[in-house]
Amino acid sequence: MSDTTIPVTVLTGYLGAGKTTLLNRILSEQHGRKYAVVINEFGELGVDNDLVVDADEEVFEMNNGCICCTVRGDLIRIIGGLMKRRGRFDGIIVETTGLAAPAPVAQTFFTDEDVKRATRLDAIVTVVDAKHLPQRLADTSEAREQIAFADVVVLNKMDLVTPEEADAVERLIRAINPSAEIRRSVKSEVPVTALLDRGAFKLDRILEQMPEFLTDTDHEHDGEINSVSFEVARPLDPEKFNVWINELLQAKGQDLLRTKGVLAYANDDRRFAFQAVHMIADGDFIGPWKDGDARRSKIVFIGRDLNRPQLRRGFEACQVPA
Amino acid sequence: MASVAEADFLVGTRGLVRDLGAWVLAAEFGRDGRSLFYALADGRVAVVEPREAEADWTFCDVGAALLSATADVAAGLMAGTDDGRLLQVSPQGAVSVLARYGSRWIDHVAAHPSGVRAAAVGKLLHLLDGKGAALKTLPAHPSSVGGIAFDTKGKRVAASHYGGVSLWYVAAREDKPRSLPWKGSHQAVLFDPSGEHVVTAMQEASLHGWRLSDGQHMRMSGYPGKTRSMAFTGRGRWLATSGAESIVLWPFFAGGPMGKAPTELAGGDAVLCSAVACHPEHEVVAAGFEDGLVLLAEITSGKVVPVAPPGGGAVTSLAWNAPGSHLAFGTEQGRAGLVDLTRK
Repeated sequence: MSDTTIPVTVLTGYLGAGKTTLLNRILSEQHGRKYAVVINEFGELGVDNDLVVDADEEVFEMNNGCICCTVRGDLIRIIGGLMKRRGRFDGIIVETTGLAAPAPVAQTFFTDEDVKRATRLDAIVTVVDAKHLPQRLADTSEAREQIAFADVVVLNKMDLVTPEEADAVERLIRAINPSAEIRRSVKSEVPVTALLDRGAFKLDRILEQMPEFLTDTDHEHDGEINSVSFEVARPLDPEKFNVWINELLQAKGQDLLRTKGVLAYANDDRRFAFQAVHMIADGDFIGPWKDGDARRSKIVFIGRDLNRPQLRRGFEACQVPA
Repeated sequence: MASVAEADFLVGTRGLVRDLGAWVLAAEFGRDGRSLFYALADGRVAVVEPREAEADWTFCDVGAALLSATADVAAGLMAGTDDGRLLQVSPQGAVSVLARYGSRWIDHVAAHPSGVRAAAVGKLLHLLDGKGAALKTLPAHPSSVGGIAFDTKGKRVAASHYGGVSLWYVAAREDKPRSLPWKGSHQAVLFDPSGEHVVTAMQEASLHGWRLSDGQHMRMSGYPGKTRSMAFTGRGRWLATSGAESIVLWPFFAGGPMGKAPTELAGGDAVLCSAVACHPEHEVVAAGFEDGLVLLAEITSGKVVPVAPPGGGAVTSLAWNAPGSHLAFGTEQGRAGLVDLTRK
């Protein structure tokens, strides 16, 4: 069955980072596709677009047993309204305010049955200001969360920083989120193809997003969002992994923003991909390991107060006995 | 239903089906009893004379997407657009503007034959009289309004939202709502015919209700999907609901629905019920399913009469005319149907 769901791109970033410029650029470029745009209440579009909807950013708690589960009530309503004329656009772009935490937006696409049936979250794109990012990260938790959730980080206003400053900012971003793709830009000039139709939440794309595991540069600070990643050599016992990851997400799901893994299960020739947004997890086989592939299981956690030794021990204990 | 022959469906013997090419937002009979409207999400409205439905249908185009529609206070259809216009469509297909609310979506509309209209725009609920004059705009609700409903007499209006329901008296001098709190996001809202109960359909695929005399809570859960459509039978004994693989009916008599199991009708296929409408007089429910199937079910006997075969996408809307002689329905992919149940 072909995928008839409508792709949704979420555009986040702090006020003044260049989000609106990027949005206008996407809409005015000649790509032959039509987008419905959901803009936040303070937003303003500089270009004409057929379908623009004002959103209120209403965050609702869900009584579904998932303690960290919040959704955007207004998005559920707006997407419901848009899907009644789905022939009129090819995709949806949701812009959030600079102060918005990205989790409720992302979780809306995994929890609401109507939204899930009609749309798929394609990617979260975060625009950051290369000059002011260090200050923003120091000031606010939202800026950090927006990077933590990102599939693509547009590192904007590159004309305002020295090459050394740019590299330093990139290292800051990498420490929070090693799996996001970083795109340097001036005036939000990024090819639209780099932002749209990325399928970042598709399980078979997770492999491409796994960070390099060459060096171990992660560092942790209390209460701050960071990432840790592990790689193990022996195959995993699927039952052990399921028990461990389920208990971990239940206990620590509030602090775990995004989790991604590509796993080698014992006695199986297929790769298993796994991802979670807070407590909401998804996993499936994504095709065989290729001949000559090192069948090593990799996992990345992005979150708050990550206990590196404990996570490492937990993941390592999922391996079959040597 | 697989064993039912095509000819056994009522649309084949005493009705018709047309493809209107756009999502049917609402099928509504005008209160004058002489017109039927199919409001389409693409901004068109089909106007039909039910007794001459075989003739060509009149179409008008309101020039914006339609988001909400209901039978107006008298003849005609009242509808809300995505460019903030509250419209009336006459039985002749003429469109007039009742009010403008900026560029915002008009998510919900309601009208009562006593001559009062309501339109929900974001957190605000606007009330208008039968002539279209603004009566008042109620103080903002805690969140965007999820659904609105008048009581049987048109004296009170209920607005659901995140955290519960606000009940307002239309004619109150001072607008202070009676607040019915319950955690969660509340969408469709409904009074029972006696005005003693208020029920909402929630984001969490369950219903919540309040008995107004003593504030007693009623929880009605167990649905595999969200309830989008619900209706009380004519005398208010049963609440029929969508959202399950059958029509789920909660008894509002003999102490129910608290502690009572619901009655389920027309189950069997693994397809969710998407719309319900109760006959104005008899204890008969019309139900539409996500595969486009439409049927009638008699509550006491459980007897099922097929109305329309699967097709055209999920049934979005169902409506009886006031005497209960005609049933209209519409689907996501633009199938519009009408059956005439008068004795021939």
